[in-house]
Order: sequence, then structure tokens, then C-alpha cells
Amino acid sequence: MLIMVLIGTLLSACGGSNTATNPPKEEPTPSENTSQTEPAKENTTKTPKDGGTLTMGTFSDIVTVNPVFQSDTSSGDVSKLILAQLYNLDREANVVAEPWSLAAEPPQISEDGKTYTVKLKPEAKWTDGTPVTADDIIFTINATRNPEVGSPGISAYDKVDSIEKVDEHTAKIQLKQVYAPFIYSLILTLAPSHILKDVPPKELKQHAYGTDPAKTVTNGPWKWSEWKQKQHISVDADPNYWGAKKPHIAKVIYKIYADQNTEVQALIKGDVDTVSAIPVTQLAAVEKRDNLRVVLAPGPSYEYLGFNFDPKNFPDNFSLFEGQKTRQAIAHALNRLGMVDNVLKGTGKLMNAPFLPGSWADPGEAAVNYNYDAEKAKQLLAEDGWTLGSDGILTKDGKRFSFELQYNAGNSRREQISSIVQQNLKDVGIEVKTKGIDFAAWVDQHLNTGKYQAILMAWSLTDPDPNGESTFSSKYYPPAGQNSGWYKNEKLDELWVKGYSVVEQSERKKIYEEVGKEISTDLPYIFMYQYGTPQGIGPRVNFAEEDKPEPSLAYGYMYRMINWWVE
Amino acid sequence: MTEYLIRRILQSVLVLFLVSIITFVLIHAAPGGPTQVFLSPGLSQEAAQIQAKNLGLDQPIPVQYMRWMGSLLQGDLGHTFKNNLPVGEILWPTMQNTLILMSVAWLFSLLIAIPWGIYNSTVEYGLSDQTASFISYLGFAMPTFWFGILLQELFALELDLLPLSDMYTMGKEGQIGDLFMHLILPVTVLTLGFLASYVKFSRSSMLEVLNQDYIRTARSKGMKEKRVIYRHALRNAMIPIVTILGSDLAILVSGAAITENVFNWPGMGRLFVEMALAREYSVLMAITLITAVIVIIGNLLADILYALIDPRVQLARKGGASA
Repeated sequence: MLIMVLIGTLLSACGGSNTATNPPKEEPTPSENTSQTEPAKENTTKTPKDGGTLTMGTFSDIVTVNPVFQSDTSSGDVSKLILAQLYNLDREANVVAEPWSLAAEPPQISEDGKTYTVKLKPEAKWTDGTPVTADDIIFTINATRNPEVGSPGISAYDKVDSIEKVDEHTAKIQLKQVYAPFIYSLILTLAPSHILKDVPPKELKQHAYGTDPAKTVTNGPWKWSEWKQKQHISVDADPNYWGAKKPHIAKVIYKIYADQNTEVQALIKGDVDTVSAIPVTQLAAVEKRDNLRVVLAPGPSYEYLGFNFDPKNFPDNFSLFEGQKTRQAIAHALNRLGMVDNVLKGTGKLMNAPFLPGSWADPGEAAVNYNYDAEKAKQLLAEDGWTLGSDGILTKDGKRFSFELQYNAGNSRREQISSIVQQNLKDVGIEVKTKGIDFAAWVDQHLNTGKYQAILMAWSLTDPDPNGESTFSSKYYPPAGQNSGWYKNEKLDELWVKGYSVVEQSERKKIYEEVGKEISTDLPYIFMYQYGTPQGIGPRVNFAEEDKPEPSLAYGYMYRMINWWVE
Repeated sequence: MTEYLIRRILQSVLVLFLVSIITFVLIHAAPGGPTQVFLSPGLSQEAAQIQAKNLGLDQPIPVQYMRWMGSLLQGDLGHTFKNNLPVGEILWPTMQNTLILMSVAWLFSLLIAIPWGIYNSTVEYGLSDQTASFISYLGFAMPTFWFGILLQELFALELDLLPLSDMYTMGKEGQIGDLFMHLILPVTVLTLGFLASYVKFSRSSMLEVLNQDYIRTARSKGMKEKRVIYRHALRNAMIPIVTILGSDLAILVSGAAITENVFNWPGMGRLFVEMALAREYSVLMAITLITAVIVIIGNLLADILYALIDPRVQLARKGGASA
């Protein structure tokens, strides 16, 4: 199901671990209140022009566009240009069949909620002229869920029982159980069965499909013409594209920069037309240029301070975070609003439960909000049995309240946040030692094994579904699961299952409201804030109001790019 | 001479072999493997193990080393883990890019630094010498990335005279004129860095020689100052300079990560950092070995140059003694 995925914001890719591409759900209210495009250009009145080149900036090279293996953001960006998705998300994150989707109509879900029928557009074709068929759907999903293949997307299809071909253009997917979030697993790009079906599963990863432009047939508006490694990727509008709606932009260059700063400089110079993530430190430099637009809004990710509940991680097996009041005290001690204002600079929003603010599952007021109140924190800590030691640090049963807070080194946002946490907690008598660790080592030695005291981390909600079982349920302990803090709450364990076992949204909403109340009281994490990455857009880029970027969606910086044009 | 060369080459092979073992072990000892970097945390343990097996990462390190060495001896540098690209396909173009940038900067700075250092040694603490000192301090003290960004701000963004970054303008790949424009800023940054040490170094090795007795003897014989400097002093002063140049030769291929980053030059320094973060063992091994080869060649060249500069140096005996 892979709803959440960890983000290692590093120089290299995003640590390379995002799968699927699907964003959080927005209330069906217009999203203007969350995204401000500035300055508002009157580009709605202009008529689209065909031709021209758009250059997108990025700071990491692609890995592969083979849908079975694609997992990093850069490869995802390029995939979106050259491969049509089976379904797309609309601005409110509903699963829809757009003119550029491969599917002809929304998926049909059976009465019992276990069968999904998908119908393809008969005109959809690969660049070699072969039609896109039900075989492609079957091949892609089966290859992804086959453990021998080693696909990073394997968990998205672990509830699938079987897939059958109804006719050339229709596939029927049978689930083992009712699993509401599955619908978002249908937002996928397809691998060509006619090219890959005879490749043994173990050798699929070695196949040149996805890395060699000449051997990669595609089915999207643009086709892949060049990959100059570590430098750029170029795609050209496909003259034989099957879609009724054709792309306006003749050529898209995906240009790779050494890091985000270099990328932003290039935006200012005019070497690139869009940059999907401006570091907050560079925001002012971009904003002061009149010809550049900045899309500033919180995105589909949230940051948290995660506690570890396994006593083995603490000296003398004394778990510091055992007491619920202790965790609530920490929540009160942190100046989260200050972090949002001073570190995130307009790209963040407070949150109190693992549901994005404004999404349909957002429990709103039902979740407990912990305001910044050091006195209250001290009081709660005292109630939980902590007393102030002579060195200004709290103690209980002779144990000092001192812990190590880990994050990935090189992530400047977490560096700043961790030192604020350190300062805030020092004010209430808790000693924090911050420690930045190289991303690969961190994942290997601490996250996958669940060996740490506390972490500063983020989840990217790659999927608009609110289901969070794999992160919080005691079924998902390390090393296999993502509940790396060994959190156990039986009530929540049950609620998560209840939440995905009904398909009706209004019923699910009630369940997630309960989840929100329970999780914000019990606090396996301190939920800090939703955050986003500001997008920068140069003067040559034009789009109609209905085609503007949608920061609340994953890959929202290229939302409906097929309708954009350059002048 | 031939015997000496053969002995040196045999020694070098042994050194390379040791370097390869040490690096291989060190790289594999780094925490977190390639699978942690590119596999999703959602992947089950079994799937992760199958994947590691497919890539041969489940084997003991000596076995992995033997496999790697086996293919290397057949001229195969291996493939990347994450997308199975041949290492050579990534490495050779990148190395060319670095070679272009670094050799221009290096030659340029040598052409300035050596004559300037020599001149400064003759007019100690003169205006020229003071200027050189100032530039050296600047070169040592100023962070490369900062100097690079300053130049970009001024010449690329404000004045709009030069390209901001990259090696070529899109669509002008391979054009010398375009390459030249793109070289100006990064070469300036690198040259400042090189100058800082080379000017100081050539000046001080000259000064050391100029204080020797035989120079005093030469002068007291009434020899012309020019002849003293160029005939007697320079030759001897060149020996330490050649040593430094020989051991610096490797930077021509290993690149300068920070400058490459700032100017988005698709070079080796950047590649190495990126590949280290991604734990791409085969690429890292290839870069390390190539660098080691160049270091060895650089030292060998320096040794040969000693003999040319200073007839007293006899290669054969020198080589024998160090063996």
C-alpha cells in the first residue's frame, strides 16, 4: 500500500525512495486558499502557442523510467512527460480519466468493494505502433508484485489476489480483501508487455528498457530522444501521439544541476524555466525578481519528531518516553508555530495528526492541538514524576532526561529545526543531543532496525489516502515494517484496519476522526507541520488558470503540463 | 633506464593491487549499502534479499572482490547497481570534461605562477612579491564556492557577460567558442586556488637555492645575475617544484568537486561525491583506481624529470634503493 515514504532530502535524488506519485486529498473547495501564485499574470487571456522549448531544472539525474522500477522523483518527473498514466488526479485529488489518461472511464468498483474493472482507451498506442492493452496492465502489476523482480513498488499491490483480462482493453483486478486505498494504486504508468514479457523476472532490472532512450517505447505526449547522463534529458512532442489533446510545447529539456542553489541561479539567469524546489534560504533572491513567479504552498509532506518506545535503546533499559504526559509535555514545549514562521517561511502549516490539513480525512478540531506553553509542559512533566536535578536537567528514579535526536546530515531544514528543539526542550529541563547522520547509514543502522532514541523525520504522503497502518500499527515493526519506533496502541491498530475496510468515504471519515483524536492524545510522534517546496517559474512559461501548478499534489509542479505553452 | 622503468612498473602494479584491496574493503565497510539507498523501505525483507542476491551483494567481500577483479582484468569496469549502466559510459565522458577544465586551469596557473615566483625571489618583498602574497592569502582564505558565486553574481547575472554555469549552452555542444566562454569563470576560480600555493612554492624553493654557497661562489666569480638565476639557481629549484607538480597531476582527472558544483561542470569531483552517497561501489572503485594510476604516473614522470634536470640523479640506483 505504501502510503508514506521517507524522504531523505540530500544532494543525490531524494535519497531515492519515493514510490507512486499520488498526493493528498483536498476538500472539494478551490485550492486557491492554499496556493498563491505571484504575481498573478494575466496569462488566462492569451491563446496557447505551439512549439518552443521548456527547460525544467532539477538537482538529480534520473535512474530509470521503467514503471516497475521507477521510484525516485527525477525519474518520476521524466516519466510523467513520456508515459501516460492509467488514471490521473484532478485538483481535488479524485481519481479521474482525463483526455490524456490511458483509461477511458473511472474504475468500476464491485458491490463488495473487492473487484476493480479498468477500461483502456482503444486508441492508446506505444511509440512503436503497438496498442496499449490489458496485457500491459497485467504485466506491470504482476511484475511489480513479484518479489523476484525486486520492484520498490511491491507493497502497493500486496492486497491484489489476481488480475484477469476481460478483453483486449479491459482488465479486472481482484483484491483479497476490501481495501479502500487501492484506488490510488491505479494511478500508475505502464510497462510494455510486448517488449518485456519474455524477460525472466530476475533479469528485468538489467533490461535496457527505461534507461536507453532507443529501447524505451513510450505512450505519452512527448517521446524520449536523449539522455546525456548527469547533464540533461530531452523529450520531443510525439507527432504520432494518440491523445485527442496534443501538447503545445515542442521540446522539454530536463536539466540536471549540481544542487538546488545552482539550479535557482539558473532560474534567475533564465537558463531554466521552472524549478520545482527552491530552498527556503534562496526564496528571497527569487522573489525580488519581478519576472519570476513563485508558487508558495505547503505540499504533501509532513515532518515529525518520532519517539522510540523500545526500552533497549536507552541506558539501563529506561524508556524516557514511556509516559503519555511526558510526550504531551514535549509537544507543549516545542514552539512549532515559531518553526513554521521562521524556518519554513510560508511553506509550512501546523498539523496535529498524520492527515494533511484540508484533506477529507483531516480530523480538524477533533485532534488535540498543543500550543507552545513551557509552563504547562513543566507541570505535565512534574505530574509524570520528573523532578529538576541540580544540573538543571529533569530526573526520575535517578535517570537524567537526556536523549539523542537523529536526523540526516546535510538537510539544512532539519539542522535548523533540531537546534530549535534542543533549545525549546532545554527550557523545560530536557537535554537533547542532536546528531546528523549520513542518509544511507542512517536508514541502514537506525531506521530499518528501529535503533534510536528519537528522530526528526518526514513522511511524504505519496498517496492521497489517509491510511497510515504501515507506519503506526504494531503489525509493522522493524525490520520489515515502517513502525521503526516500536509504537503499540491496540485501539489504533484496530481503527486503521476498520478505516480501510469500508469504501464509503463518509464512513471512513468518522473512523479517521477517531484515529486523529486518539493519535494526537497518545502521540507516537510529535506531529510538527506540513511543509512544501516553493516552485519557481520563469517568464516564458504560460498556462491557463485551470492548468496552473497544484502544490498540494505530488508532482503538482507539472500538473497538466500538456496544456502549458512557452513564448 | 629500461630496467628502471620495468621495475617501477612492476612496483606500481603491486601498489595498485594493494590500493584496490584497501579501497574495496573500506568502501564496503561504509555503513548502509546500495540497497538501502535505492530500495524502498516498503520492500519486504525477502524481496530485499532476493534483490541483493541478484546484484551479488549477498556474497562475502572477498568473493565480491574476486568477481570485480575478474571482470576488471577483462576490461570490464562493471555496472551501476541502481540502473545497470556500464560504468565506463558514465566515467569516460565525465573524465574528459574534468580533464578539459583542470588542464586549462592548471597550465594557466603554472604559466603565471612559476615565472612570477622566480621573479619574486629575486626582488624579495617588492611590490610584485607583496601582491603575490596578497593573492595567495586570498586564494587560501577565500572559500572556493563563495568566490565562484561572487563571480557568477557579477559577470553572469548583473553584467550578463558570461554564461552562469555548465560546459556548453544547450544546442551548442562541441563548439570551441562556447566552451571557451564557459571556461572563463571556473578557470579563474581554480587558478586563484592553484596560484596561491604555486607562487609561494616556486618563490621559496628559489630562495632556498639562492642562499646556497655555490650561488654565492658563482656571484663572487663575477657572474651576471641573470646567468646565476637561470643557469645555476633555477635548475636546482626546479626539483622540489617538479615533485609537487608530479604529485598534483592526479587533480587533472580527479577534478574539483566544489568548483564543479558551483559551475555545474559535469566532472569527476561531483561524480565521486554523488556516487559515494549512492554507494555505487563499481564507480567509486574505478575512480579510485584511475586516480591511483595517475598518481603513480605523476611520480614516475617527476623521477624521470629529476634525471633530466639534475645529471647527478641516477635513476637506476634511486629506483633500486627504494624498492
